[in-house]
Amino acid sequence: MTADAANGDGDVIIRAEGLTRKFGDFTAVDDLTLRVERASIFAFLGANGSGKSTTIRMLIGLLTPTAGTIEVDGIDVIRNPRRVRDHIGYMGQKVSLYQGLSLRENVEFYAGLYGLDEKALAERWGPLAERLDLESSENEHPEDLPAGIRQRAGLALSTLHRPRVLFLDEPTAGVDVNNRALFWELIQEESDAGVTVFVTTHFLEEADYCDRVCFIDAGRLTADATPEELRRRFSPGYRVHVEAVNGAAARPGDARAERALSDLAERLRARGLRVERRTHAIDVAAESLDPEWLRAVSEVQLAHEGLRVSVEQPHMTDVFREIARGRAR
Amino acid sequence: MSDVAAAAGRDRPEIRLRGLRKHFGERTALDDVSLAIAGAQIVGVVGPDGAGKTTLLRAIAGLLEIEAEEASVLGFDLRGDVTDLKSRLGYVPQSFSLYRELTVEENLRVIGRLNRLDESAFDERARPLLERTGLAPFTDRQAGALSGGMKQKLAIAAALLPRPSLLVLDEPTAGVDVLARDEIWSILQERKSEVLIAISTSYLEEVEACDRLVYLDGGRVVATGTPAELRARVPLELYRAWGDDPRAIARAARALPYVDGARATGSYARIEVRCDRTPGAERVLDDLARLRDARVALAEQTPIDTESTLLALARGDHLPAGSRGP
Repeated sequence: MTADAANGDGDVIIRAEGLTRKFGDFTAVDDLTLRVERASIFAFLGANGSGKSTTIRMLIGLLTPTAGTIEVDGIDVIRNPRRVRDHIGYMGQKVSLYQGLSLRENVEFYAGLYGLDEKALAERWGPLAERLDLESSENEHPEDLPAGIRQRAGLALSTLHRPRVLFLDEPTAGVDVNNRALFWELIQEESDAGVTVFVTTHFLEEADYCDRVCFIDAGRLTADATPEELRRRFSPGYRVHVEAVNGAAARPGDARAERALSDLAERLRARGLRVERRTHAIDVAAESLDPEWLRAVSEVQLAHEGLRVSVEQPHMTDVFREIARGRAR
Repeated sequence: MSDVAAAAGRDRPEIRLRGLRKHFGERTALDDVSLAIAGAQIVGVVGPDGAGKTTLLRAIAGLLEIEAEEASVLGFDLRGDVTDLKSRLGYVPQSFSLYRELTVEENLRVIGRLNRLDESAFDERARPLLERTGLAPFTDRQAGALSGGMKQKLAIAAALLPRPSLLVLDEPTAGVDVLARDEIWSILQERKSEVLIAISTSYLEEVEACDRLVYLDGGRVVATGTPAELRARVPLELYRAWGDDPRAIARAARALPYVDGARATGSYARIEVRCDRTPGAERVLDDLARLRDARVALAEQTPIDTESTLLALARGDHLPAGSRGP
C-alpha cells in the first residue's frame, strides 16, 4: 500500500466531497473531503462528539448529508442509500447481535437478510467461525459471551456477505488488550484479502495498524496522512542509539567495535543524518526511518558482538497530542 | 460523620481485603480477593473484560454487600454500616451520573449541600476545582451539554469537593480526547500524595502511570506490583524488526521455531520469544536480519513493555511474585 496513491487518482473506493451535516444550528460535520484507497486500512480518529459517527452514518447511507457528495464502490450513496448496503459491512459501537437468539441463530438470521442460501452460508461460516475462534460459542447467547468474543462475532456477521468495504465504528472499545491485538490481526487479514477497512478508534496507538489516518475535530479534518507522515510533521522524530555494551577496550574486540561505531557515524553523516558520537555510543536523529541507512546500522550490528541497537519511535499518542494542541492554540 | 473518624482527624489511606467474595446469583464476580494497599498512591485495577474490575471498585466504594474474612477500607469495615465510609470517599462510575439538566455550578452545589458545606466553605473549595479542571468559564452550562472530557472533569471535581481520603474512578478516561485525558491525569497526580486513588483504565500509557497495579482475571487477583515489577516477571524477550512490509516480516518470523508470537504494526513487527526457548539475543537478531520472504532493515531487542506484560498476564504466562525475572 503506498500512501501517495490516495493523494492522486489511484484506486479510490470511498470518495466524499464537501460533506456537511447540520443539526439545527449545530454543524456536526463541516465540509469534509475524504478519499480511501481500495484494500487499505483507513483510520478515522477523533474524540467523542467530534463528528466521527455522524460521518460514518452518512457514508453508509443511514443519514442524508446537508451538503456534499459520497461515492462508495462506484455507488452514489445519497441517491442509492439502500444499494450501497450490499457492498458494505458495518459493525457499530454496540454490536448488533440479537439477545435471546443463539449466535448460530443470529448468523442464520443475518444470512437470510443478505440472501445467502444454506450452501453459501455453510461455505462462508465454517472457515470464518474457525478463524475467529467462534466455533465453541455458536450455541451461546450473545449476552452470555465476554466482550471480546461478542466483538469477533460482530465482525463475523458484518463480513458474512463478503462486503468490499468494512465500516467498523470503535470495534475495540471496551475490549481488553489481548482481544484488541487479535482483532487487529483479523482486520489486517481482511485488508490483505482485498477488503477496504474504514475504522474508528480512540486507542491512538492503533493508528499504527492503519495505512492512512484522518483526524476529525469539531467536524473538520485536522490531519490526513500516513502514520509516518504524521510523525514527520508532529513529532521530534526518531532516535536510533547504537551502543558498545561492554565499553571500550574491555576486551580486544571492543576497540574494533569502537572503530565500527566511528565508521558508522561517518557513513550516516554522509547521508545527511544528524549523528552524535558519544562515549561508546552514537545517537542518530532522523525524521523517518529509511530502510537504506537502517541496513547500514544492521550490518554493523551483525558484524560486531556487543553492539546494541535501540530505536526510539515517537509515540502516536504524543503525535495526536501535538495535533490537538495545534488546534487549541 | 462518625465520632471515631472525626477524632482520628485523618483517615488511614489503606485497603485491606482478605478472602473477599461477591456473587451475583450463580455467578462469582469476585473470588477470594486479598489485597493490602497502604499509603496514598494511584492504584490501577486492570485485567481483561469481565475480570471483575468494576465489581472490585464498587466493593471498595462500599456499594456492594460482600462476604470476606477481612474487608477494611480507610479503617471502616465493608461488612458493617458503610455510611461513614461513603462520606469519606469520592466515586466516579463508568457512566456519567450527575444531573444533566443542572448546570456545572448547580451540580457542585448539590454535592456541597449533601456534604453540609456552608456557602463560604463551598466557595473556597469549588473555585480552585473549577479553575483546575478548566470548567470555570462554563459554570452556567448544563452538564448534559458538556463535551465528554468536560463531563468527566466535572464528575471528578464533584468527587473531590468533599475532600475525600479515597477516590474511586471506573474508566474515567474512556473515549475522552487526549488533552482532556492528560489534564485528568495531572489532576490525579497532584492529589495522589493526600488521596488514595483506585482507578481502572484500558489505555496502556495510563496503566504505566499507576504507582501500583492490581491485575484481575476471572474475579481473582492474579498479580500485584508496580508496573516495573510486573514487567520484570514476564518470561519473554521482545524484539522489533523494522522494514517496508511488517506484515510479511511478522509472518516470516512466526516460522522461526523458537518464536512465540509475531504481530505487525505500521513500521515494525513485534516478535516475542520465550526466555526458556531463546537461542540468545545475538542469534535471534541474526535470524531476523536474514529472514526469507521478508526484508528486515534492522532488528533490535527492546525491553518488555506494558502491552507485552498485559498480554502475558492474560495468557497466564507470568512468573509469580518473588521469582527473579528473566
